[in-house]
Amino acid sequence: MEVEISRRRFLQGSVALTIVGGTAFSASSLLSAQEEKKEFKVTTKTGLGKADNIPFLCGMCVNKCAGFARVEEGVVTKLNPNPYFPKSRNMLCPRGNAGIQTLYDPDRIKYPLVRIGERGDGKYKRVSWEEAYEAILHGTDKFKGLLQILDEEKDNRATIGYCNGEGLSKEGFEVLMGQKIGTPNYVDEISICLETTLGGYFNTIGAYGEADLNNADYLIIAGANRAEAIITPDTMDMFKRSKGRGLKTIVLDPRFTNTAAKADRWYAINPGTDLAFVLAMTYVVFNENLHNKTFLDKYADGWMDYKNHVLSKGYTPEWAEKITGIQAKEIYKTAREFMGAEHPIYYQGRRSVFSKNDFQLRRAMAIFQALSGNLDKKGGIIFGKKLTLPAEEINAPMYAQVKPRFDKEGIAIPTDKTGSWILFRNMVLEGKNPYPVRAMFMRKHNPMSGVPNTAKTEQFLKKMDLNVMIDILPSDTAMFCDVVLPEASYLERTSPVASYGALEPAIVQRRAAIKPLYESKTPEVIYKELAEKLSKPLWEITKKYDEDVQDDTKDMKPEELEQYYKENGFDLADAWEKPVEETNKERVVEAFGEEAWKILQEKGVYYPDMQKYHKQLNPNEFEYYPENKKNYTTKKDKLKVVVNFKNLAKKGIDPMPTWHDEWNFKVPEGKFRLVTGRHAQFTQSGTTNNMMLRDLIPTNYIWINKRVAKQKGIKFGDMVEVSSKVGKIHLKAYPTEKIAPNQTFLLHGFGGMSKGMEMAYANGGNDAMIIEDAIEPVYGAAAMHTTNVEIRKV
Amino acid sequence: MRYAMALDYKNCINCKACEVACKEENGVQLGADKHRIWVGVKEIEGEWPNLSIASSTFEPSQCQHCENAPCQEVCPTQATHYAKGGIVMVDADKCILCSYCMEACPYDARYVKDETMTVDKCTFCSDTRLARGETTTACQATCPTKVRTFGDLDDPNSEISQLLKTREHFTLKTHLGTKPKLFYLI
Amino acid sequence: MFALAEKGMKQIEKFIPMRHTDIRELWNFKKTPLNLLVAFTTLVFLVLFVVGVSNYMIHGHHAYGVTREHPWGLMIAMYIFFVVSSTGLCIMSAIGHVFEVEVLEPFAKRAIHGALVTLLSGFVVILLEIGHPFRMMIYNTISPGMTSAIWGMGVLYSLYLIFIVIEFYFLLRHDHKWAKRFGIFGLVVGVAAHSNLGAVFGFLIGRPLANGIYYPLYFILSAMVTGCYLIFLMYGFKYKLNFPEDMQKTLVATAKILGLLLAILLFFEVWRMLTLIYGGVPERAETALHILKSAPFLAGEILLGILIPFFVILLSNAKAIKTMVFASFTGMIGIFFMRYDLVHDTQLFPMQTLKIREYQLPPSFIEYTPTMTEIFIALGAVGIAITLYYIGDKILYLETDPD
Repeated sequence: MEVEISRRRFLQGSVALTIVGGTAFSASSLLSAQEEKKEFKVTTKTGLGKADNIPFLCGMCVNKCAGFARVEEGVVTKLNPNPYFPKSRNMLCPRGNAGIQTLYDPDRIKYPLVRIGERGDGKYKRVSWEEAYEAILHGTDKFKGLLQILDEEKDNRATIGYCNGEGLSKEGFEVLMGQKIGTPNYVDEISICLETTLGGYFNTIGAYGEADLNNADYLIIAGANRAEAIITPDTMDMFKRSKGRGLKTIVLDPRFTNTAAKADRWYAINPGTDLAFVLAMTYVVFNENLHNKTFLDKYADGWMDYKNHVLSKGYTPEWAEKITGIQAKEIYKTAREFMGAEHPIYYQGRRSVFSKNDFQLRRAMAIFQALSGNLDKKGGIIFGKKLTLPAEEINAPMYAQVKPRFDKEGIAIPTDKTGSWILFRNMVLEGKNPYPVRAMFMRKHNPMSGVPNTAKTEQFLKKMDLNVMIDILPSDTAMFCDVVLPEASYLERTSPVASYGALEPAIVQRRAAIKPLYESKTPEVIYKELAEKLSKPLWEITKKYDEDVQDDTKDMKPEELEQYYKENGFDLADAWEKPVEETNKERVVEAFGEEAWKILQEKGVYYPDMQKYHKQLNPNEFEYYPENKKNYTTKKDKLKVVVNFKNLAKKGIDPMPTWHDEWNFKVPEGKFRLVTGRHAQFTQSGTTNNMMLRDLIPTNYIWINKRVAKQKGIKFGDMVEVSSKVGKIHLKAYPTEKIAPNQTFLLHGFGGMSKGMEMAYANGGNDAMIIEDAIEPVYGAAAMHTTNVEIRKV
Repeated sequence: MRYAMALDYKNCINCKACEVACKEENGVQLGADKHRIWVGVKEIEGEWPNLSIASSTFEPSQCQHCENAPCQEVCPTQATHYAKGGIVMVDADKCILCSYCMEACPYDARYVKDETMTVDKCTFCSDTRLARGETTTACQATCPTKVRTFGDLDDPNSEISQLLKTREHFTLKTHLGTKPKLFYLI
Repeated sequence: MFALAEKGMKQIEKFIPMRHTDIRELWNFKKTPLNLLVAFTTLVFLVLFVVGVSNYMIHGHHAYGVTREHPWGLMIAMYIFFVVSSTGLCIMSAIGHVFEVEVLEPFAKRAIHGALVTLLSGFVVILLEIGHPFRMMIYNTISPGMTSAIWGMGVLYSLYLIFIVIEFYFLLRHDHKWAKRFGIFGLVVGVAAHSNLGAVFGFLIGRPLANGIYYPLYFILSAMVTGCYLIFLMYGFKYKLNFPEDMQKTLVATAKILGLLLAILLFFEVWRMLTLIYGGVPERAETALHILKSAPFLAGEILLGILIPFFVILLSNAKAIKTMVFASFTGMIGIFFMRYDLVHDTQLFPMQTLKIREYQLPPSFIEYTPTMTEIFIALGAVGIAITLYYIGDKILYLETDPD
């Protein structure tokens, strides 16, 4: 029986830990339930003494909610909400609160590691930072160094690929790898996330927009599970007004999520058929003349084409019923209600792609919103205004030898900056890349868990000559890396100041609550040190092969050469000359003044006239901007809705949303369509080692319809095997009526393979192992809901 | 002074932020049955796709700090007692772990705290936040959809008094006469 | 060490007549197979007790299988088992020597001896169950919760212990006047304490199955039943079923009383079950039906505990006292199940019926399995009771007429 172990002793590493995951629900075994287990308590009670409240921005997910970290005697004891940030609205979700367990996670990478075994076997050697940088540059007997690789590739910087998870230091990594080191091969996580949604909206209404849920009165939210995939401020606003309290909420989702539980109506739509639903509603609107003609005439070019297109194609609700599984009369009803409402919103959604028609779907949704005229005004989808901070100037060098990116095969609008993870990986594996890709630099990203078809990701990582990871925990991907650098978590660092919000914009800054633990360093320091280490040696390679540089520097004296090196940006570390704290101050003072900086330092948030505008309305809620200062209407006459996107036709993409029968929902007999999704307690695979969160959901289960489970003799908790064309996993079964008989679901982020993460290791199933690597044809984003699986009891 | 809490439970999205905040604030140990507060979910009724939305409500709950607390009545050593504001507290020095209060509580609010081997439960953050002069409980402050309002029933101007005057509400197991102080706003 | 004990015994002999003062006499018994079996079993139980207690010392309450929803387990059941036996024997003894029902006088002394040893065993069990027993003794006195049935029970059982010790003292000295006086005190306080124990459950407003007058009343009734069973067992073992004339008369009378009590008990149980189920009130009726279908209730409580002894008495017109000894054995097993079921059934229906996690089954009837530690301590306490009884039987004169 253990007593509480103080954080102090834990931090000093003097505590022997045997952490076992908590058992779930009562009925004890014959031998005492806790006889062999040592329970390690990692919560501390907040004290009554002196404490510092340091403003931070949460890094447990992408929302960056503002909070205050309560620090007592150098230990973070509680994370409290920050009432000044309009976007996060004075709250912290379960992960926000559990950040303490991630900060003090005993499995944190504590010092730089260099691989001494084979990739994936977890054998690493502890090294100093200097030795780690050295290993990246020159390699070891186990792997090649960057110098050798670039030399062999004749300074083709594109031989290096890099990826980075969302966060406040993401841009810094992009600067280091993309602009300074000069590789174009950025496989951004956006291609396994909302790239297509953004593309659909940007190409239709010019921006993604923000839904003004506080003033809307009708909401259709499809496939966006705001109760469990928390987004600020949408989640905060949406659920206070649903169920007859002002915001009529219609939820479309193949499974009954917590959002559906809060809805006024829920439609169980077949996966990947949302487009048919929207087209049918559009048909009703055009057919019954419910659209806002004045608005469309003014702002939407080519809308008549679309009307003719939809009507002539006969996208009736009766037609849609067969595809979507939603009754025709419900489609009529919803369309009419939407147009009859004063402030209707068809919620944009922001998640990974469902199916190959996602681009068209998001375009159709944006157009449908435009049909109501509820854009750029109160209660609709607004565009708002961001507070601008002066941009940092980066002296980006030009590399003549760098070859362009190649992951464009079969997609219509390849993005030069962010690419397509699946296409990039698969082309390299199939040998379709025009030049070798030999190194991957990764930060805060876990492709082994995030990118569909883990088997291929593993192959891909093994194919590289050099893999480098910067992260806080030894993730599955880190276990395939050669050099692992420990970075300080979000509570241990001050990050670049950022600007968020559209309706009520603000700038926010996080300050380090405590110094970096163990031997970790903040990202900006790592970028600087790595840049310093690589700069001169890589410059030598450039001089050796880069003809433009050779021409420029012919006959130059050493001092001139040095000047050229500096002026043309070849000094890789010059982007980090000043520490983050200093650049933050400079930027904020330049844009908003000294007073603003003081407020930002103390409160973590600033917007003009904040002192005047910020009011407490009641014990729970605050007013951030007065009503007449909110940015409801910002585009005015500049608003443009592109309905008929003629240029797409040249690339083989439908210029207007059109249905193709290949998208019909079909599941072979006896199989199940796999859908993905979230629970509010986890952020993908990044939080599955968190002790507090694992207390809430110890493992993931596969959802199977109760009647189907009964037929197969599967009971709650039975181990089942779920297999698809690309892999198989084992996990427990959860019979529930919340999913269709021919569909299945499991929570993403589990089934870790890294033995370095005690709680995450071998717990549950990793859905990326069984999701097939389909991509949608416009951006090459991963289409997640196209896999059919088999389930059998083991 | 009578402390109570109003719950606008229809806002609740079952995210469990309150559960985590409570454990972090009050140093509650990890463990599935070592919770002071929880969000209850009913198993949904109906068969896909005809599921009953109405049957799927989320009901946050915790110690009701009853005005006529059965736990207080049955404690042999007065370890369970009424503290300031009518908050039902357990004096860990006096608790003998007879578990009678755990038997008597109709709300499953109590559990055994392993560090002291005494009975523990929600304290309305009285020895942490309230003791520091703050006016919100950890669960109230953190909630994304602002379900909870903690306050003094005896203060007619408090937010909770206003809410209870203007909105219909119910309590759990009212017929037992425990006079619970968690009010669910309809 | 033996010399010291002998010295102590000689001191005690100044106050009460003793059969032996030599401790070593304890090893001196007729080595019949039955005796050896009982001795061996008791020894095993005592060893188990030591194992169980050591485990409890190391792991504390974690060694027990009690949970948040089911905080009272086998230990509480055993405690109730022992104190019920104690009160029952006290009542039966009182009928004999306090109210002077002559035919029941012969077992008065032995019954009080039995009441003492079972009470002490019960206290041993509860001291191992209460998380902080010493704290209890302090705060029960200086900070009493007087509305608490457990507080009342604690006070009353302490008084009861004092009274029956004194009663026993006077009985051993053949001082019938004072024995009778303390007998009355003992009886009154014993019945009060015991029905208070019933009220521990009866006062639980949140538990429809337990709430009400049934348990306080039923406890006294079943105490008397238990007392009768134990009397049969004690005398059955003493005389090895070869009862002398007057003993036979006593036992037949006891059997007749037992028969009546069992009939009343059966009557109580039937009507209890019927009123619980009638009307289908949820929480009450559901749980009652669940209990009715369970083996510990049907086989343990009803069959072994009531029906078998009842029919033995009925069919033999209370004359088959030899068979009654065996029936009392099954009866005691049944009585154990009555106590266990009492504790378990009260906690069957969950107070919180909602799921608190997505991935769980909705709460249904609470399950409980005792751990090895609890079982060992339970058996061990039985061993202690038998050992103490044996010691008393050996060194004291437990028959009304010294032989």
